[in-house]
Amino acid sequence: MGSLFRSEEMTLCQLFLQTEASYACVSELGELGIFQFKDLNQNVNAFQKKFVNEVRRCEEMERKLRYIEKEIKKDELKIPDFGENPKAPAPKEMVDLEAQFEKNESELREVNTNAEALKRNFLELTELREVLKKTQTFFSVVNLPNIVGEAQHALVIEESGPAQAVQLGFIAGVIPREKVPPFERMLWFACRGNVFLRYEEIQQPLEDPHTGEAKHKAVFMIFFQGEQLKARVKKICEGFRAALYPCPESTQERQEMLRGVTTRLEDLKMVLNQTEDHRRRVLVGAQKEIRNWIIKVEKIKAIYHTLNMFSFDISHNSLIAEGWCPVQSLEEVRRVLKEGEKLSGSTIPSILHPLKTKEVPPTFFKTSRFTQGFQNIVDAYGVATYQEVNPMPYTIITFPFLFSVMFGDAGHGTLMFLFGLWMVIKEKSLLSQKSNNEIWNTFFGGRYIIMLMGLFSIYTGMIYNDAFSKSFNIFGSAWHSTYTDGDLQGDGETATLVLDPGPFYRNGTPYPFGIDPIWQSAKNKITFLNSFKMKMAVILGISQMVFGVCLSIFNHLHFKMIVCLFCEFLPELIFLLALFGYLIFMVYYKWLVFDVTESGCAPALLIQYINMFMFKYEDASEKTDCDVQATFYENQQTIQTIFVIMAVLSVPVLLLVKPFYLRSLHNAKTHPPKVEKDTSKSVNGKSKPVGEDVKVSYGHALINHGEDEEEFEFSEIFIEQAIHTIEFCLGCISHTASYLRLWALSLAHAQLSEVLWTMVLHIGLSMDMQYLGGLIIFVVWMFWANLTIAVLLVMEGLSAFLHTLRLHWVEFQSKFYSGNGYLFQPFGFKHILDIDSLQEIK
Amino acid sequence: MPELSFNIDHGYLEGLVRGFKCGVLKQADYLNLVQCETLEDLKLHLQSTDYGNFLANEPSPLTVSVIDDKMREKLVVEFQHLRNHCLEPLATFLDYITYSYMIDNIILLITGTLHQRPINELISKCHPLGSFEQMEAIHIASTPAELYNAVLVDTPLAPYFIDCISEQDLDEMNIEIIRNTLYKAYLEDFYNFCKNLGGATAEVMCEALAFEADRRAFIITINSFGTELSKEDREKLYPRCGNLYPDGLSKLSQAEDYDQVRQVAEYYASYRELFEGAGTNPGDKTLEDKFFEHEVKLMKQSFMHQFQFGVFYSYVKLKEQECRNIIWIGECVAQRHRAKIDSYIPIF
Repeated sequence: MGSLFRSEEMTLCQLFLQTEASYACVSELGELGIFQFKDLNQNVNAFQKKFVNEVRRCEEMERKLRYIEKEIKKDELKIPDFGENPKAPAPKEMVDLEAQFEKNESELREVNTNAEALKRNFLELTELREVLKKTQTFFSVVNLPNIVGEAQHALVIEESGPAQAVQLGFIAGVIPREKVPPFERMLWFACRGNVFLRYEEIQQPLEDPHTGEAKHKAVFMIFFQGEQLKARVKKICEGFRAALYPCPESTQERQEMLRGVTTRLEDLKMVLNQTEDHRRRVLVGAQKEIRNWIIKVEKIKAIYHTLNMFSFDISHNSLIAEGWCPVQSLEEVRRVLKEGEKLSGSTIPSILHPLKTKEVPPTFFKTSRFTQGFQNIVDAYGVATYQEVNPMPYTIITFPFLFSVMFGDAGHGTLMFLFGLWMVIKEKSLLSQKSNNEIWNTFFGGRYIIMLMGLFSIYTGMIYNDAFSKSFNIFGSAWHSTYTDGDLQGDGETATLVLDPGPFYRNGTPYPFGIDPIWQSAKNKITFLNSFKMKMAVILGISQMVFGVCLSIFNHLHFKMIVCLFCEFLPELIFLLALFGYLIFMVYYKWLVFDVTESGCAPALLIQYINMFMFKYEDASEKTDCDVQATFYENQQTIQTIFVIMAVLSVPVLLLVKPFYLRSLHNAKTHPPKVEKDTSKSVNGKSKPVGEDVKVSYGHALINHGEDEEEFEFSEIFIEQAIHTIEFCLGCISHTASYLRLWALSLAHAQLSEVLWTMVLHIGLSMDMQYLGGLIIFVVWMFWANLTIAVLLVMEGLSAFLHTLRLHWVEFQSKFYSGNGYLFQPFGFKHILDIDSLQEIK
Repeated sequence: MPELSFNIDHGYLEGLVRGFKCGVLKQADYLNLVQCETLEDLKLHLQSTDYGNFLANEPSPLTVSVIDDKMREKLVVEFQHLRNHCLEPLATFLDYITYSYMIDNIILLITGTLHQRPINELISKCHPLGSFEQMEAIHIASTPAELYNAVLVDTPLAPYFIDCISEQDLDEMNIEIIRNTLYKAYLEDFYNFCKNLGGATAEVMCEALAFEADRRAFIITINSFGTELSKEDREKLYPRCGNLYPDGLSKLSQAEDYDQVRQVAEYYASYRELFEGAGTNPGDKTLEDKFFEHEVKLMKQSFMHQFQFGVFYSYVKLKEQECRNIIWIGECVAQRHRAKIDSYIPIF
């Protein structure tokens, strides 16, 4: 388990691999999945890379596998997944694989072509049988001379009179059903109405031998007169791809032919079944292996793609690779490389040596199932800059907590917790289902977050004493009302009563945990809760921001920017504490000092706070007994003035010191004599801790560390610092206000659930209808439960989640987090196992 | 105000086609393609573009005609997708685009039957965008009148064909005349349709179609030299919706050799440039290529306008040009004839 607080220390490595060992080594590295290769051949065309032929062979194998897979799927056979993970075969075995696939494919193709030919034959015979049968019915309705006569009548009568007996010819065939109308029309147009068409549909659909689709077809007969028309009709039939079949004229001949065709069909059926069986056998053989084959081929292809990223050193007959690797895993990588050498039987060892570089390494966090969700939340804002403080560990607690402040309801929290718990417990079986549902996957990915959010919501719900908008009275209320029964039984309006702490509060112990349940029935409940929640929101918000500013210490220390400690962290902290820390102090002061007897005359916080900036203080001489303008305590004016001045003074410190300090540093660097610089360079030969080079890119600080390539642009640094200053100072104010959303959403949630209770369930409960009430409450409860889930849990939950997200990204992380890094993407075979198949490719 | 509601009906498809356009190969891609040694290389590079694995299921060895078929298939699939999702008047507009393919198919089939080729072989050569169900029965016709009465009367091309019925029989010459008459009627009809649509569509499409009309007029004139086509007949074939109409066309009809055509083009700034750059010497670009280049330029410009149908027309035209380019390069690679491999027409 790596450090939660910072990303792993990475190093750029150079790998010298013997050409013959490179394949095995890369294969082993792929199984390990901890090394990110850099593409050294970015400018080379895809087809000019070294291993392009191997890649092409892999593609050819893929194509064959796709074909086999398609055939397997066509026969509705399932591809079994035994979860095995075969290693990439050695390059020598590739030839065997190829031969095997070739054999399989050609066998399949042969079977298929045979089957297709047979099927075509079968189709033709079936069509012929249908033609014979249908013509039989055509002719048998009226015997031949009659129907010919009828046709003759239709065709000839107008032109040449009935007397002339003309021999009519006819042809018969089969045509797809949907083509009949245009066919008929075309015949009419082209032959000027001089042909006579009869058609009838074939009842059962016929299978197309090529595509295997079922098609509806129709038998037709065309009567015509003369050779010219015959030629023309035939051409049209050809054009419409109608299959023409010979059809003898006499009934006897037809019947004989029909008998012959039927026997031939029977024979053919036998043969077809045999071919089908053979095909089945071939497919079942392939079915067991295909998953392994696909994985193997994908691995080979991945390896060759990686090898294509290497540069080739002819003089040493070796491949040179570069890439990033966590420092901790270097030994593991070396071990794996050795294994690869052993496998390939190479005698010359591969060399792995860390390089010193100015490039910023990728950011890599080792996460667990539990932390992954929270890391995703942080990464969604921006991947951490290399080795900067990672807000994730704090987010684990603050995220569910701030969520629960807005979602404070023990009942809803329990439901959410149970949902999260179910997902966590069922994790394994749910994971193996590999759902494609995006919404579900989002929820499932955040299962631990959901569980924690539920848990925290139960806690805040208890504090608010709120479960489905009702309160628990566990310890017994600490209040004692003086209302008489008469007051309580008055008209409905006094059903809720104002709680006045003066007379009602039994001086002594308050309610031990959370808010006193008696407030639930009080008229002034909202006023009380608003004041409490609003102040709480500000206190929580400012605490979180102060914490964020404090976290920046670790960044400054880690990147050895001590100056920032004094010119960035300190003024920021002073600014925040002097203005807003003081506000918290006043909130507590007012809570603690004024009790119920004086509260009516207590000074207003808001006015006090505004006056602090206006330097407006009441004259002591004009003091009255009950004056909200009065100060809280003695010397308030002096202390407040000092605080404001401190805050104002910290702004120029924040703005000016750092840019000028950097400039003086830079000037000092450029001036010293050349000799010194050369020595410093020669020392650089040995590798230094990587962290030192990286601070160059940290945040906006463009500090130069002994290297002359980086441009020092004073104006740029100054402007950036100015932006930072303005952002911070204005941010403190607006962010404090922004935390008030904690109060607003909490209020909204409580009110919504109360409305739902009183408007829905309460109506059902208060119905006075004896047994019938049970039925009604059943229906009403359903409404209430559905609305609770849909509106309060899902919608409100999502909105509270979004607001929490914003509070973390904007209000909290802006205090210390720059998020300019890029993710570590190691080369590995893991994802190949997830390819559920290649069927996406047509 | 059609712009206000344009996106309600056609916004999705316009977005789609603009997305498709981004997949058109860039100059950098061509530079890579030109370096290919074999067709397999070509395939490998095309795989890294928007064409993706469109050749993945083709067994080796690859031929240029397979590439051609697959590219055409891809365009057709895209076009059919657009056509299936569109509403009026875009539907009619897209249909108009297919009419030109229908004309080509008809002419191909007639010429084929004239040379006694089997109809199945011809059908496979037809452009799938221009296929219609009566198409395969075209070879029963032996005169234009028959062609009209039996085959074309039900197709959308029927109105265009009326002018050709008078021709006596189908020979090479008459087929060319039929083709050009059909094209003329088609272009004029399309032009009027776009004009009636108004707005940005009219603006863009009229320019494109006017150029198309003028190009046909030039080509007809140049090709007619040395044939028995009379000047009066020639004039009848000029589409009358271009910039050349009416003065340019009447002058063109009087032209007797290439130089005179060139003189006509002198009066039109955009065409003068084309004629100036063209030549038949090695190293020079042919007039045809010049026209193609100009077309590409026009088509690219049409993407600068919003809320209009021109982008659909342009996309099809650009894609066609791209197919021609790839086929050209593919042929050069396949025949190991690399001297002229660079004379493709870059698009972006």
